[in-house]
Amino acid sequence: MRIVDLSTFNAAREAGLAKLLPRKPRIAIGMGTCGSGNGAEGVYHAFSDAIDNLGLGFQLSRTGCFGFCAEEPLVNLWLPGKPLLIMRRVRQSMVPGILDDMAAGRVPSDRVLCKIEEWDHITAGMKYGAGFPEIPHWHEVPFFKGQKKIVLRNCGLISPDDIEEYIAVGGYQALYKVLIDGNPGAVIEQIKASKLRGRGGAGYQTGIKWEFLRKARADRKYVICNADEGDPGAYMNRNEIESDPHSLLEGMIIAGYVMEATQGIIYVRAEYPLAVHRLTLAIEQAKEYGLLGDNILGRGFHFDIQLVEGAGAFVCGEETALIRSLEGKAGRPTPRPPYPAEKGLWGYPTNINNVETWYNVAPIVIKGPAWFTETGSPKSPGTKVFSLVGKIRSTGLVEMPLGTPLKTFVYDIGEGGTEDRAIKAVQTGGPSGGCIPQEMFDTPVDYETLAQIGSIMGSGGMVVMDEDNCMVDVARYFVEFTHSESCGKCVPCRIGLDKALHILNRFTRGEATEGDLATLDELSRMIRDTSLCGLGQSAPNPVLTTIRHFRHEFEDHIRAGRCRAGVCEELALSPCENSCPLHMNIPRFLQLLKEDRLEEAFESVVIDNPLPASTGRVCQHPCDDRCRRKAIDESVNMREVHRHIADSIYFSDRFDALAAKVASRCMASTGKKVAIVGGGPTGISCAYYMTLLGHDVMVYDSNPEAGGMLRYALPEYRLPKAVLDRELELIRRVGVKFTFNTKIGDEISLNELDALYDAIFLSIGTWKESWVYLPGTELKGVMPALNFLEAVAKTEPVALGRRVIVIGGGNAAIDSARTALRMGSRVTIVYRRERKDMPAIPEETEAAEAEGAEIVFLATPHRIVGTGDGRVQAIEVVKTRPGEYDASGRRRPIPTDEIQRFDCDTVVLAVGETVDLDFARASGLKIKDDGTVEVDRYTLETSRGKFYAGGDLITGASNVSNAMGYGKKAARTIDQRLMGVRRWEDLFPEFEYSLTPPAHPSESGRHTVTELPAADRARSFREATVGLTEVEALEECSRCLRCDIRNGNH
Amino acid sequence: MNSPTLSEPRLRPQEQEFIDRLIVKYHGSPGMLLSLLEEIQESQPNKYLPMEVLEYLASRIDVPRAQIYSVATFYSLFNLKPQGEHTVCICRGTACHTRGSRSLLERLKLQLGFKEEDEEGSADKLSATTPDRRFTLRTVACFGQCALAPVVEVDHAILSHVNERTLEREIETLRKGSRKA
Amino acid sequence: MPRKLSIRIDGQYLYASEGQTILEAAYANGKPIPALCYMKGLAAVGACRLCLVEVSGVNRLLPACTTAVQEGVSVITESEKLTRYRRIALELLLSERNHYCAVCVSNGHCELQALATRLGVVSVRYPYAYPKLSVDATHPRFVLDHNRCILCTRCVRVCSDVEGAHVWDIMSRGVNARLVCELEQAWGQAASCTSCGKCVQACPTGALAEKGLAVEEMAKRNENISQLALHRGANR
Repeated sequence: MRIVDLSTFNAAREAGLAKLLPRKPRIAIGMGTCGSGNGAEGVYHAFSDAIDNLGLGFQLSRTGCFGFCAEEPLVNLWLPGKPLLIMRRVRQSMVPGILDDMAAGRVPSDRVLCKIEEWDHITAGMKYGAGFPEIPHWHEVPFFKGQKKIVLRNCGLISPDDIEEYIAVGGYQALYKVLIDGNPGAVIEQIKASKLRGRGGAGYQTGIKWEFLRKARADRKYVICNADEGDPGAYMNRNEIESDPHSLLEGMIIAGYVMEATQGIIYVRAEYPLAVHRLTLAIEQAKEYGLLGDNILGRGFHFDIQLVEGAGAFVCGEETALIRSLEGKAGRPTPRPPYPAEKGLWGYPTNINNVETWYNVAPIVIKGPAWFTETGSPKSPGTKVFSLVGKIRSTGLVEMPLGTPLKTFVYDIGEGGTEDRAIKAVQTGGPSGGCIPQEMFDTPVDYETLAQIGSIMGSGGMVVMDEDNCMVDVARYFVEFTHSESCGKCVPCRIGLDKALHILNRFTRGEATEGDLATLDELSRMIRDTSLCGLGQSAPNPVLTTIRHFRHEFEDHIRAGRCRAGVCEELALSPCENSCPLHMNIPRFLQLLKEDRLEEAFESVVIDNPLPASTGRVCQHPCDDRCRRKAIDESVNMREVHRHIADSIYFSDRFDALAAKVASRCMASTGKKVAIVGGGPTGISCAYYMTLLGHDVMVYDSNPEAGGMLRYALPEYRLPKAVLDRELELIRRVGVKFTFNTKIGDEISLNELDALYDAIFLSIGTWKESWVYLPGTELKGVMPALNFLEAVAKTEPVALGRRVIVIGGGNAAIDSARTALRMGSRVTIVYRRERKDMPAIPEETEAAEAEGAEIVFLATPHRIVGTGDGRVQAIEVVKTRPGEYDASGRRRPIPTDEIQRFDCDTVVLAVGETVDLDFARASGLKIKDDGTVEVDRYTLETSRGKFYAGGDLITGASNVSNAMGYGKKAARTIDQRLMGVRRWEDLFPEFEYSLTPPAHPSESGRHTVTELPAADRARSFREATVGLTEVEALEECSRCLRCDIRNGNH
Repeated sequence: MNSPTLSEPRLRPQEQEFIDRLIVKYHGSPGMLLSLLEEIQESQPNKYLPMEVLEYLASRIDVPRAQIYSVATFYSLFNLKPQGEHTVCICRGTACHTRGSRSLLERLKLQLGFKEEDEEGSADKLSATTPDRRFTLRTVACFGQCALAPVVEVDHAILSHVNERTLEREIETLRKGSRKA
Repeated sequence: MPRKLSIRIDGQYLYASEGQTILEAAYANGKPIPALCYMKGLAAVGACRLCLVEVSGVNRLLPACTTAVQEGVSVITESEKLTRYRRIALELLLSERNHYCAVCVSNGHCELQALATRLGVVSVRYPYAYPKLSVDATHPRFVLDHNRCILCTRCVRVCSDVEGAHVWDIMSRGVNARLVCELEQAWGQAASCTSCGKCVQACPTGALAEKGLAVEEMAKRNENISQLALHRGANR
């Protein structure tokens, strides 16, 4: 059907409307590439077969994508007179049920994402119908909230294969209007007044560009659409074309008319076959309907659009390179001027705009520039489509007004990180952009602001990075990309990026020096300032922004040879080793045990970790989180295996021999004297290694026995004293000496230590409870958690009430609760955030609940109510609701008006602990604002010579393994400082064990400890869990995938 | 020297005709050379541009031989070497990278038995074919399937949310599958 | 006659002709802005980035070889930053391939060597790539040594735009880019080569040289080529 006048135009529209709003139920499957990649093809065919088989007269069609990629495949359901329903994650198996419901006029019970009652296609409105009050409107779904679909106005709602559906929603109306009006100048004025900026990245004013071409005099002019979307992480153009190809054609035809061009070209990536297919079809249809080709709409205007498939060259996104490519040459950019508007394709004036720019043309023509500038920011009006991907819960394409702050994208639309990981940065603008750190998420996303902070808008890619991403690796990744996409023409880009990559590789291998960082910085600036085209000029952005915002990560790679995220493989033995604060060679002890060599497994464990039985019980086990076995089923239970190994030796007759063997490793005496202040896990670790290194070590502790928190804060049911004593016996046999009942500052001063020792390591724990400001804390019956736990551990009398409230969500809170339960009290824990935010080990929390503790989440104490005689009577808590995300990536609790009262006679406060720093202040150690001792992060040296500090003292309250990690690290750096040579590696013996990856790792599931029945254990201080049996431990060892073995070498 | 197929016979008449028809189809249009090379490569059984084809093309169009070669080697889509029976293409886009596509690549290189000298280009810009020509392993800058990351394309079908185990199984299935006649 | 424009270069007031580039105006006035890919008579490509200058009113550096002079413009051709960047560019070029001056036929006549000396490049801070590159000595009179090539494309341009043969082009991309003869043929087998030798004379380094010469013997005569190119109007 050829459209030549209003009546034929209207006829096409009616035909389209009859398809969109038929007199029968309609089902449309979202079939963009992402939908298809998630099984939409199968769903379509399932619907098609079932409708045929059941003889249902339903209409079935394909649409593009509605943008919520994480929930694909999306399916639209429509019953005449009712709202359009969008279903998410539809599977083939659900098809019969859906059809049943529809046939009965019901809403399917499951997987309905939202409803659309009416839709603003901008160029026209669409009313589907009202009803289904129980189903949320589309804009009430977090992912869609705040989105404004101008570019994506038709995506996912009409069929991309049917021009009549496009016409039905106002398509080609703008073209019709422009041709009837016959005033091209006015259109250019409209575009100029809209201040529409090029959506390809540079943000140049589209109207001004159009005016240049219109004014250019030549017998041929070209209009080009740049659809060579190449930014890794950006795919909005693909989706736009796949879902709504006619909007692109219409924009180009209008532009062709007003700029007096006769030929349009769409240069599209060959990697997008579906987009090519749908565009080809759309071009044919447009020609058939007289909207493209000769004598368009009968108005004597001729315009053709030709499709050219790019052949894989990122640099062709650069307009001069794209033009050279069309001329049959390699895509090497040429200097501007001359600009394409003067001398473009084959020397003729040429206009190039990005896909998304064209999608804004018809809406501006129909609604006018004033309407357009209402949205977005004054300098950057309108909307922009972003692809929100990476480490984020809800991924997909989002269209937001320009100027929306970054945090809205990350936390509101994207709904935060995945697997409760803290989000670290967002990368915008692809390889030409930069990394924006979490602290700067208030940044409004517009052209100028992003440029100011060293990034760019680019084509709209937004890749979210979390703590598992190494920013050095991210910089390296982008440079590797631009390096391989550099055309090679200009020197800075071709060679400079190669050298930058070389230097970055040194970082990821741990070979870089401080000098490399300076060289990299200078080279990056040179490449930015001197490259020929945008690719080279912007390629250093990822490097420069990561150096600026994540310098500490570069320093970690240089000075500690560590990649905290565990991405740089050369810097880690395996993911588990890298995550372990003690950097235990976990695969080694697993393999040794698997080879039935228990004694060597023990030696391996104990040379890496002086307290394996204690940590085997209480460690936070970060290794579990990183274990690659998780991709198959669950992580290997590494913590429990080393508990098993340690227990098997400690409580056997082999203990004496093995302890002697460990002690025999002590190096010859160095004659150096070392004092360690604090006999907790940090101090003990340092003392153990320092003694092995041949130094004369004395540990001072204010308590009568060693162990610190392990002894006095951890309840007996978690870590029996008998186990701890056995471990400390090994430490003693190695030769560590203790002086008890000696408090630093009171019995001995820092100055005295300074005079007596060659080096002093401070490792005091956080024994001071932070006191929250709370009315009623002076009442009898309010006690700090650590005081409570310590008193119980020392078997001192504690006046515990029948009804106990514990405030807090950390391990100390849970330990207090479970201890109180064992003393016969009823216990309620009050925590201000949600369960997933609790710092306590999840298993511990679950165990506490099983034993009868009640937990009230989202509540913060308001006041403690006392009786007339000054005793606790009750506590009032304010309910909170999760607010905005804070720097820890958790939602900040916001108090509400709701107050809840709990009667009680004891309140245990476990809201955080600090170190008592009075001694340090008195002796001239620099203290930071957060109340920790200032040290060099890498050497642990304090501001005072000879003095080192580690553990809680420098981190604030942490956990046993972190604390021990500092003790171990301190031993290494102190020894090197004392001896002037690196002797650390000599401490560690070689072990012979298999370095062949298992052909078939055990298929068995994860083995966990056996918990005593909750009812039994809740009234007893007996250890609450029984470790793995020998068989179970061996099974766990066989489940290891041996990530420590790579490419045949070790 | 890049002339692995010199011993093969010159172009057959059908192939010549095919190319001649394409030249007429694209004559004078923008992007002619790209479109010609793309269609010719797609028509080849091993999905590459043999030397004699380039020779023939150069003799039929008014484009210098050096320029044709420059274009054929500039764009990553073009292959100058025969491709394997199965092509596995690993996406190295940012979203896929942040979700572990490099370890997929490393794992697959190991599984297919590649050594560094078989690879062309840098560590990440890869195109390598096994000596038995059963598999070609390639990387692509980005498929634009970022929401499904990590993504691997196996013989033009997209696999989404791939892990090492699923990829390994996929390759094993292909390996066991019957050889093409 | 083209219009005369008044410009300033490094503070000095000078005249330039309309249509001239900054580089041409500077050369005409005895200001030797460093450049390697530029050659009089050939179309400028702005690839080596050594001729970048600071232009008043423009906040980024512009290549003198492709930027036309404008009335009243003030240009800085030497500054601390420009020198620093030019040194980096030369260091990059020197570390890209295998430039061993002591054994090179062009030693003493090499533009890269001369610029490095002039700008005081005494050491290279970047790791040398030491690529394994071949030498094509199949042509009866000339030899191509990829080890010395800096990809300035002067040979490519002189061959295609002046001689009209287009024997040479650049294959591959990025750091793998290389000068290529026809369909990667041996030079001696290139049917399109007229053996005119213009490419050899245009080459700024020892990458293209006459056969049979010893170290230091290959002096280039590119002034003649420039005259010929201007005569034929190759860059217009």
